[in-house]
Amino acid sequence: MTWDSFIYFAVGAVLLWGSGAALAYRSKHKLWPAWLTAAGLILFSLFIAGLWISLERPPLRTMGETRLWYSFFLPVAGLLTYLRWNYKWILSFTTVLSTVFIIVNIVKPDIHNKVLMPALQSPWFAPHVIIYMFSYAILGAATLVAIYYLAREKKITHKARLMEMTDSMVYAGIACITLGMLMGAIWAKVAWGHYWSWDPKETWAAATWLGYLLYIHYRLKKNASDKTSMILLVLAFILLQICWYGVNYLPSAQQSIHTYSS
Amino acid sequence: MKSPSRKIWEQPWGYAEGFIMAAGVLLSGLLLQFAAGNIETALFAFPVNTILGALFVAGILAVHFLAGKSRTVRWLSGVYATIPALAALLTLTVILGLVPQFPAGTGREQLPPHLFSSPGWYQMIHSWPFVLLCFYNLTILGLVTLRRTTRKQSWRDIGFYLNHLGLFIALLGGLLGSADMERLTMSIQEGQVEWRGTGKTGEIKELPVAIQLDTFMIEEYEPKLVIIENETGKMLPASRPETYMFEGVGKTARLADVTLEITDYLPHAAIFRDSTFLNVVPMMMEGATAAIRVKADKPGLGQPMEGWVSNGSYLFPHLLLQIDEETSVAMPLQEVRKYSSHVTVYTEAGSTKEAVIEVNRPLQVEDWMIYQYSYDDSKGKYSGTSVFELVRDPWLKTVYIGIFMLLAGALFLFIAGPKKSIS
Ligand code: HEM
Repeated sequence: MTWDSFIYFAVGAVLLWGSGAALAYRSKHKLWPAWLTAAGLILFSLFIAGLWISLERPPLRTMGETRLWYSFFLPVAGLLTYLRWNYKWILSFTTVLSTVFIIVNIVKPDIHNKVLMPALQSPWFAPHVIIYMFSYAILGAATLVAIYYLAREKKITHKARLMEMTDSMVYAGIACITLGMLMGAIWAKVAWGHYWSWDPKETWAAATWLGYLLYIHYRLKKNASDKTSMILLVLAFILLQICWYGVNYLPSAQQSIHTYSS
Repeated sequence: MKSPSRKIWEQPWGYAEGFIMAAGVLLSGLLLQFAAGNIETALFAFPVNTILGALFVAGILAVHFLAGKSRTVRWLSGVYATIPALAALLTLTVILGLVPQFPAGTGREQLPPHLFSSPGWYQMIHSWPFVLLCFYNLTILGLVTLRRTTRKQSWRDIGFYLNHLGLFIALLGGLLGSADMERLTMSIQEGQVEWRGTGKTGEIKELPVAIQLDTFMIEEYEPKLVIIENETGKMLPASRPETYMFEGVGKTARLADVTLEITDYLPHAAIFRDSTFLNVVPMMMEGATAAIRVKADKPGLGQPMEGWVSNGSYLFPHLLLQIDEETSVAMPLQEVRKYSSHVTVYTEAGSTKEAVIEVNRPLQVEDWMIYQYSYDDSKGKYSGTSVFELVRDPWLKTVYIGIFMLLAGALFLFIAGPKKSIS
């Protein structure tokens, strides 16, 4: 399976996720939206599996390959949040964001490239990147909630419940970010001789992590303002974007050991 | 938040005092930076770092036990002090991520003559403001951990201790340990023994271990074909160059409007050519190169072109197949799949050990970790020289204890989630 067949799987998955999201507004039961979303996820994961087999390496190296996982994990995060918190709109939010990343991948497809340089041939490679992509998806979903909140603050009725949901998402997200970061540190020790070198990618990972630490500690105070919390979330997500791909464009990162995309 | 009736510095303190404190730490750091320049890491090598670390921990314990109940210490171990401290560290981290960084040894005069050099921004992690701020955060982290022990314990506290104590240990170990870390490179030719390493600044150091390079091997990926523009040598299509990796004789591929058919393949070839004649023959020898015979066709071309393409070696020239005036088929250098050094290691104590060292598979000998670092790339896969990096980090165990506590803490956080009483 190559990127040429991506569009068929992607369109199928987006249609399934879209109908799931639409049904979420209509049906009283969570069963159908959940099943449709899950079916889309299965279809999408078939493509990932096929790509993995044909590349003979985990498809996690290039920017397009990480976008692939991101578009996969967003509906996962949306589905989990929907099942746990019952918000109807979350599935459409995550579907739209996932579609954006799918479209980027269709417009700018990756080249079929089997090469995996020696430093990346490590048992840490797949868990490190996958868990990071998962945390990016959860935190992306949390950011959507934050934007939703900031856009219609006056109209939201159950603020406390919404904040409780956001806290849950951020706790899960920062837990995964921490796991991904520490796995990266252990791997770096094995591959490059040091667990932390303040390489630009690592620096921005630290900045992202500090951003979310600010959020969870700020929220510990009973008098924390909901609005400030949500703004913190949006700022932390900007740091996350810089860490994910923004570093590739920074002058400070020209010698980074972490840019494999070209 | 500060209550409207409260003046600044009037107890109980809030965020305002927190930001003033963090700014104070930054300012002290800046003054030290202006006065003394970068922190000279070497000055803190063992035993200085151990003594300072012990004093720091003792200081935090003393503050906690002697003044733990005072309002200021309670404030210092709370969220009001934490947020500004973390925010200040985040600010410096963002600057660190934006401003290009120079290695520790770089002299002041080699740095860009710029506003950023005085506050230490070009070597942020060796600058006083950054390190002081790390220690300010560590102080809060230590005090909050200790204060937590004074209240009724619940199961949630396990996660709290794993995260906060784990971070305290990892961060303190990493900061203090950086002064004791040694990194040397060592370049060895096949059949030779080496026991001297070269440091970052070129100094030579004799080691208690000697490494003999028995053999060095490089495995490469299959060769690739690309279409290039004759005039510039650029790969086509210019916007997004396409490549084709060899998959077998008889296969066809399309690259930048050219149809390629693979008609023959020699993994080990010798190339003989002069102005009139070209001969490509199979030959198993050192310096042999890979060669692919292709038939290239393109709309508008009278007849397909056929010929050998090779990326050459230090012995043989590379070969292009010219398709027309504008384009040719070329073979870029093959990418390395794996490189490995078979070594025999001798220690001063008299033990001998044979091992294979690869990227991602370092070898531990006594205090040293030996990493596959590089090779002689002018000779490519026939390099008979392997370059190793040797690393000694006596504080690694400490840092790993912290890291594993943090890993467990993160799992805990994932499962337990936020405290329900927040909302
Ligand atoms: C690994 C990084 C960290 C994580 C995951 C983390 C997580 C948490 C969590 C989940 C809590 C709430 C605990 C509970 O109520 O059960 C907490 C409390 C707190 N943390 Fe952190 N934290 C981290 C680093 C830090 C740092 C660096 C500081 C200070 C510089 C800090 C200072 C505090 C303070 C002051 C509290 C409030 C404790 C209390 O009021 O009892 N934390 N932290």
